[in-house]
Amino acid sequence: MNNNAAKAGSGATQAGRPARLSLADWMPKIVMAPTAVAAIVCIYGYMIWTAVLSFTNSRMLPTYNFVGLDQYERLFMNDRWLVALSNLGVFGGLFILTCLFLGVMLAIFLDQKIRAEGAIRTIYLYPMAISFIVTGTAWKWLLNPTNGIEKMMIELGFEDFRFNWLSDPDMVVYCLVIAAVWQASGFVMALFLAGLRGVDSEMIKAAQLDGASIFTTYRRIILPSLKPVFFSALVILSHIAIKSFDLVAALTNGGPGYSSDLPANFMYAHAFTRSQIGLGAASAMVMLGCVLAILIPYLYSELRGERHE
Amino acid sequence: MASLTIDNVKKRYGQTEILKGIDISIEAGEFLILVGPSGCGKSTLMNSIAGLEDVSEGRILIGDNDVTYASPKDRDIAMVFQSYALYPNMTVAENISFGLEMRKVPKAEREAEVQRVADMLQIGHLLKRKPGQLSGGQRQRVAMGRALARRPKMYLFDEPLSNLDAKLRVEMRTEIKKLHQKLGTTIVYVTHDQIEAMTLADRIAVMKDGEVQQLGTPQEIYDNPTNLFVAGFMGSPAMNFIPAKVVEQNGSYALELQASKPTVVPFPKPESLKAYAGKEILLGLRPEMITEPQPHKEGKEFVVTADIDVEVTEPMGADTMVLTRISEAEVNCRCNPAYPAKADETIAMMFDTSKAVAFDKDSGKRIDN
Ligand SMILES: Nc1ncnc2c1ncn2[C@@H]1O[C@H](COP(=O)(O)OP(=O)(O)OP(=O)(O)O)[C@@H](O)[C@H]1O
Ligand SMILES: [Mg+2]
Repeated sequence: MNNNAAKAGSGATQAGRPARLSLADWMPKIVMAPTAVAAIVCIYGYMIWTAVLSFTNSRMLPTYNFVGLDQYERLFMNDRWLVALSNLGVFGGLFILTCLFLGVMLAIFLDQKIRAEGAIRTIYLYPMAISFIVTGTAWKWLLNPTNGIEKMMIELGFEDFRFNWLSDPDMVVYCLVIAAVWQASGFVMALFLAGLRGVDSEMIKAAQLDGASIFTTYRRIILPSLKPVFFSALVILSHIAIKSFDLVAALTNGGPGYSSDLPANFMYAHAFTRSQIGLGAASAMVMLGCVLAILIPYLYSELRGERHE
Repeated sequence: MASLTIDNVKKRYGQTEILKGIDISIEAGEFLILVGPSGCGKSTLMNSIAGLEDVSEGRILIGDNDVTYASPKDRDIAMVFQSYALYPNMTVAENISFGLEMRKVPKAEREAEVQRVADMLQIGHLLKRKPGQLSGGQRQRVAMGRALARRPKMYLFDEPLSNLDAKLRVEMRTEIKKLHQKLGTTIVYVTHDQIEAMTLADRIAVMKDGEVQQLGTPQEIYDNPTNLFVAGFMGSPAMNFIPAKVVEQNGSYALELQASKPTVVPFPKPESLKAYAGKEILLGLRPEMITEPQPHKEGKEFVVTADIDVEVTEPMGADTMVLTRISEAEVNCRCNPAYPAKADETIAMMFDTSKAVAFDKDSGKRIDN
């Protein structure tokens, strides 16, 4: 963003005073240069390097022995990768939907001019401020059958209470969903609350006069007018889902077995601990593809929207 | 169509009283305009009539029904808002028919109604568009269309034209007037625009600080303001308030002003000045009552010609406003543009006090009625 602003600024001055370039004209460029260089090298440079490596048979160290799409073929034959992908589907889908639903609901409730709103808002938003590692660790204790919720319920007298998803390969992915939802839904709430606060109060009055109930007003008028917020929340949540690495690392460490791996954990394991840099790079590229598939339409519509205004 | 009675309505937010006992009643089919300075409680009163705000005290009657505690949708009122408040995600047609849909009107009927309203407001070609794709004037029409569609008992307009440019505003004003004549529905309308108030209203209620200062026909308000505030608020340019001394003259009372020289002018109700003999009052005289000398008025009762010192002239096309100073007060005179009034010169003006009013200097109350 700063980058753009600086570019736009210098462009304008050039148009205004063509010939003389003073220090003032150069200053923004000089100031921005280190950041720009760092961004180009560290983000785009390494991205390209990863792309190149994904076409080689690099193992422990990068080599440039090109083997075409072999690594991608291996990747999609790899059972662990397929588990990670399907986990991503389940985790991503449930995480996004639950977060959106809870976030919208919390925002609507908070919007009813309740008392102590500031405090409640902070409480819900707080999880977003802590790292996924902390969330993962905390939920690991909570979900652990021998000393968490299950134990508490049994001690309360519900002898038959079972809650052992963390050690169940079929259910462990839902543990990830619970922890991630706990962390991110407050953030979605904040997004929507800001949106709701921006809704024209006269519009709500008009709906009331038109005879719409509160429920109908939200469903037919207010929420549809928050479409851009939905869109932003969707993009933010889905890239959180695709990038999720630390949560798995802290909460389940991929286990039991590799049943709760997500693509990022797969990538990390192969590139850095199992000496399969080529394969890791290929999986990274697939993840990049997923993120781009979400971001490009978003950026496209955002930029187009700006031009419309 | 229904009459509206607002009976001693009070509205408090916590400790602060916003409406301090409003009493207004209008007949079915009347066009009531609320005017008053910003923050005097016009919107609050409108919202109370619509049921969007609860009143703290008093009653509101529509027709013979006490609706003080009825919910907005049961009052059968439609409202046009200053921001238009269209539903951005719905098309124009959906915006218009939403209220009908909520009232479970069958689809075919709804469509017919949308068509009727669209024809009336000439927005038929816009029905499929979203509000974001409309100009300000078109949005305004759609907002009116939404109000018209339900055929309610009463319309409330809260500054509906204030976001339009001057030309469009005049056009829409005429259309609203026509619409009212055609539908004959009771309308309550808030505006800041003097001309809108004068041209549209059957009755004007001038409000200040949560109180109705005066309720009357536009002409009553213009000619017979009950106090200094109403007199100064209605009319543009505003009424002149000239400090004047009450003097005894031939057994009656008249007013002495300091124009270029001391001048004595007669007053229509001299006996009302008796209590103020020898004291100062404020003489209220509209700018159009101070003009260039007009031969046909010469020698009439209440007409006096006197010299004034011109300070500034402001040509307005049809008239020229001449600014002068009389008894230390700034005074506007409305002259024929052909009259050669020039800044810093002294020139004769004709004072017609037949419609003059007098106010107590301290309380601001009318003296002469
Ligand atoms: N919810 C509220 N809580 C407290 N005070 C309020 C509230 N709503 C309005 N007020 C106060 O009530 C007063 C009247 O407001 P209102 O909106 O009715 O003014 P108005 O006459 O419509 O003004 P304008 O011409 O600017 O629209 C204002 O002083 C405002 O600050
Ligand atoms: Mg208002």
